[in-house]
Amino acid sequence: MPETILTVKNVSKVFSSKKVHIRAVNNVSFEVKRGETIGIVGESGCGKTTLGRCIVRAIDATSGEILYLAEDGKVYDLQNIDKKTLRGIRKEVQMIFQDPFASLDPRMTVFDIISEPLRANFKLKRNELEEKVKSIASKVGLNPSYLKRYPHAFSGGQRQRIGIARALVLNPRLIVCDEAVSALDVSVQAQVINLLMDLQKEFKLTYIFISHDLSVVEHISDKVGVMYLGKMVEYAPTEELFRNPLHPYTEALLSAVLIADPTVKNTRIPLEGEIPNPANPPSGCFFHTRCRYCIEKCKTEDVSFVEKKPGHFVACHRADELNLRGIV
Amino acid sequence: MVNSVLKVEDLKIEIKLDEGMLTPVRGVSFEVRENETLGLVGESGCGKSLTCKAILGINDKKCKTTGKINFSKDGSEINLLEMKKDSAEIRSIRGKNISMIFQEPMSSFSPLYTIGNQMSEVILLHMTKDKKKAKELAIEALRRVGIANPEKRYNQYPHEFSGGMLQRVLIAMALVCNPNLLIADEPTTALDVTIQAQIIELMKQLQKEYRMAILYITHDLGTVAQICDRVAVMYLGKIVEIGTVHEIFKDPKHPYTKGLLGSVHKIGGNNERLFSIEGTVPLAMNLKDRCSFYDRCVFRDENKCNRPEPCLKEVGKEHSVACWLYESNEPHEKEGI
Repeated sequence: MPETILTVKNVSKVFSSKKVHIRAVNNVSFEVKRGETIGIVGESGCGKTTLGRCIVRAIDATSGEILYLAEDGKVYDLQNIDKKTLRGIRKEVQMIFQDPFASLDPRMTVFDIISEPLRANFKLKRNELEEKVKSIASKVGLNPSYLKRYPHAFSGGQRQRIGIARALVLNPRLIVCDEAVSALDVSVQAQVINLLMDLQKEFKLTYIFISHDLSVVEHISDKVGVMYLGKMVEYAPTEELFRNPLHPYTEALLSAVLIADPTVKNTRIPLEGEIPNPANPPSGCFFHTRCRYCIEKCKTEDVSFVEKKPGHFVACHRADELNLRGIV
Repeated sequence: MVNSVLKVEDLKIEIKLDEGMLTPVRGVSFEVRENETLGLVGESGCGKSLTCKAILGINDKKCKTTGKINFSKDGSEINLLEMKKDSAEIRSIRGKNISMIFQEPMSSFSPLYTIGNQMSEVILLHMTKDKKKAKELAIEALRRVGIANPEKRYNQYPHEFSGGMLQRVLIAMALVCNPNLLIADEPTTALDVTIQAQIIELMKQLQKEYRMAILYITHDLGTVAQICDRVAVMYLGKIVEIGTVHEIFKDPKHPYTKGLLGSVHKIGGNNERLFSIEGTVPLAMNLKDRCSFYDRCVFRDENKCNRPEPCLKEVGKEHSVACWLYESNEPHEKEGI
């Protein structure tokens, strides 16, 4: 049994201005085992990116614990950690960003971009640096002779490879991929997904894979968490979640996937209305305004996130009685 | 026989650059028929957007366009390419008979004017001079695409709408003059899955009502399977395969089409490695005189394929492919994608 590398416990993040407080991430908990890929899905604005940024501590969570098992065998709470230790941890936890066009500095050469994490963390000689960068570049499928060029000279897929090389150059153990393939063409997407899966095998990487594309998530993830309005509403092993969803929101999401087969007709379960304003979320279960199974209880009583089946967590009052449709 | 609304013949686009002549579109021919949706599929840079912009005459001045774009208007065919850029003639067609929906709903509207103001602009230009009537028409169009409370929404600014809602407004605006042809350039790519499905259903339903032809550009094969009647696959500025959606998905012929379909993961399928097409799309400049897919093709046959580019050949009813491997009508030997 692989050890638990990351435990997210009751994490919340509130963005506040004078008038409004937006709970972008609301009391989210889950566990990640080493070598696993966890997919996080949900519509835009559901807080999946914010959660990812909290995990790499690009931003501070408002409350909760993020427990990380570091390479030295100790467990650190990334929320309460002194600066020096955090610097060490940062080498192990990296992030791949969404937009390969915006996440690379146009005024740095590819070599500078990939070597920056090394320069920031180690004192390496020029030739050592070059060697490391070259080896990682060829690993992700970038021709090392291109390293002197600037990002604008590369296509979207190649840029994403640069972003991946930058994340990998420090030999991280946990990588948060925030929509890492969403901006790419299907064929390039397939290349990058294969690359990520190969690298995972080779380096025993753990991924947190944030995406709104359910088919990609199904392909790459071992477990999937579904988020709605800042809350995790369902969390289960991938196959279980896709076949036997327990939350009505998951059911609706799955039914909206457009299947690349003209003989299969979509039978979408319509979601009424729009996502409610996160500054003023509904009472009771957050999803009740759009849920077709809503009863009185859902409107008033808060719902808790509980384990209904082994490893299958859900936040729904009616999880026991509903028989929801998954993808066959 | 179903009437064709648009016939594109041997469309070529050239752009002169300092480094040489770029040919992003290299002889494209297809037709779009009444009440049908033709999908134009391909990776970024294959020339699909340029083709569509050429139809409306909104390409950059640097693009030198040749060929024929015949559009049937009131029973007669007119060649849109012969019209002067931005002449009154083409402007009377653009937005009225042919309209377009763009990829990013957020950047397709001016943030400075209300939705109503921007919608009436089209109506006042093409339909009526009466402002009151224009407002009525706009509100009616908004209601048709499922916008609740259109009277109030009419006076709101784009930032007050969500992405999905704004895409609906864009569709309403494109359809307000009852066009014969709607060009949709990746209208759902920027949207969430749930909204995406809604928009596609909406477009299907509106097509049923108005019998318009839709030219649907996308690289998402899921969308194609769900909305298109026929599909044209583009690679490096040429159509390499065209056929009905069922033919293309069930029995793809061109190695590129096979590759594209193979790289899509199907939910519920096994989680093996995805098939991916080696390499990247080359730059459409100084191309060698042989099949443009040669370098990336897994089925290439050095004796057969190292010849000047193949043309589209019929391989079945309404199914054509441009590949040397089908030249003798022999079935593919190496199957397996």
